[in-house]
Amino acid sequence: MVRKRSAAAIIGIGQTDWVTDWKRVRAGEKPADSVGYAAQAFQQALKDSGIPKGDIDGLIVGPTTAYERMGEVLGLNVRWGGQADAVQSVLQAHMAIEAGYAKVIALVYGNDQRSAGTQYGGPAAMGGGSFLSYVYHSPWGMTSQGALYALTARRYQEERGMTEADMGEVAVAQRAWASMNEAAIQRKTITVDDYIESRYVCEPLHVFDYCLVNDGGVALIIADAEYAKKMSPNPVSILGTGRSDLNTGATSLEPRLTDYYLPAQQQAGKDSYEIAGVGPEDMDGFLVYDSFSVHVPLALEGYGYTEVGTVKQFLTEQGIGPGGKLPVNTHGGHLSESYMQGWNHQLEAVRQVRQQAGARQIENAKTIHYTSDVAGKCMSIIYGR
Amino acid sequence: MEIAPTPQPVPLVYDIPFWESVKNKDMQLQRCADCAEWRYPAGPICSQCNSENAVWERVSGEAEILSWVVFHKTYLPAYPAPHKVIAVRLSEGPIMISNLEGKEPEGSWIGERVSLCYSEMPDGMILPRFALSE
Ligand SMILES: [Zn+2]
Repeated sequence: MVRKRSAAAIIGIGQTDWVTDWKRVRAGEKPADSVGYAAQAFQQALKDSGIPKGDIDGLIVGPTTAYERMGEVLGLNVRWGGQADAVQSVLQAHMAIEAGYAKVIALVYGNDQRSAGTQYGGPAAMGGGSFLSYVYHSPWGMTSQGALYALTARRYQEERGMTEADMGEVAVAQRAWASMNEAAIQRKTITVDDYIESRYVCEPLHVFDYCLVNDGGVALIIADAEYAKKMSPNPVSILGTGRSDLNTGATSLEPRLTDYYLPAQQQAGKDSYEIAGVGPEDMDGFLVYDSFSVHVPLALEGYGYTEVGTVKQFLTEQGIGPGGKLPVNTHGGHLSESYMQGWNHQLEAVRQVRQQAGARQIENAKTIHYTSDVAGKCMSIIYGR
Repeated sequence: MEIAPTPQPVPLVYDIPFWESVKNKDMQLQRCADCAEWRYPAGPICSQCNSENAVWERVSGEAEILSWVVFHKTYLPAYPAPHKVIAVRLSEGPIMISNLEGKEPEGSWIGERVSLCYSEMPDGMILPRFALSE
């Protein structure tokens, strides 16, 4: 491994008020566009970092917002910039800092997906031809992200001997965490029975297995480790990262239906563990990109938290909710907090390591693991101090 | 009464011979002329051996169900809910998304043997589908 340890750290975080965003949009208002949400979050993150804006020399903008316009609005003429999703933004910022292209990078994300009526299913599904497997099967009526994960979940549950009740443990646990999070949209706890009685969207997935699409913004300030140490009272280091992709057979859904992305998760995990010098047994909390609940069992097995084939026992006997063996998605995740496309998980990692997670704080949390497996791009980031 | 159009395939470039063969009720898949690897979807080169030489060959039509879902929400006018979709593995190897025609299995559908058939949609489009094998 060539990458040095802890080259970069997060020194500032910010977000819009997702609960208010939710209420206003549901009331038919259009409080901001994606640039506006991102700008509000940036203001918070800059304030949180305590650094002068003039020190920022890098900018990464979420894929849902125009890069040039964002730089214009924030008044940032940087020497390094880009556009990427949440996890790739963090990895790219880390790489740019390590390579010396920038010292302090602002990551900003804004999304008006709910008020704009963004389609994640149907013939106009977001991405279209550029994400072929989203739309390739539409002649047979196979469309929507949820349906792809429903196909995965059906086969996976059967292979692992899981019932719907076992699967429901994920949504139940995350809602229990969300009940302790004032920033979460859905805070009413649910039981496994509530889960089973809830409606299906694409069977076997219930409505509680789906993310909460919302408007909102998130921002992070990531800095070179030396700068972070000098300028920040509580920097959160990026201890290790890993990435491994499975693209062979992607359109015909082979990696989703037979591999469940496991080989890629195992490789990404291994790389990040080696760089950070820790393993799953050292993690105080585990955050998983959860556009759908099935991501969670896949990640528990893929990143070595439980042996492959035993996730049912892990979910039902050891537990991932409050009081369970492994705290997972302690903010409520996309299912209960808000669908901020993985950006909200980065904030939660920082809050947990800073000991600022309020009622849901994991006692003395030092090391937090974030993973995502979006369309077979498996990524792993280990945050800590 | 208006007929809901069948959602059209995207994109078409390499898939044209596939959809032509389906229209003729003679489903063919692209196959590498050098290493014989079957390809679905069709593409410009062989992902196994990099060869640019390809042929189109008729498939046996035999397959096995890998997974299935039921849409309880209508996304497409041609497919009002509840709408069922299957994923099958063709005996040639590739996985295909389709629908099950006719009788449905009791309990789990996974592992059921199915055979290729052709359905004519209300708008005249021919779709390759599958029915439980005898
Ligand atoms: Zn070949």
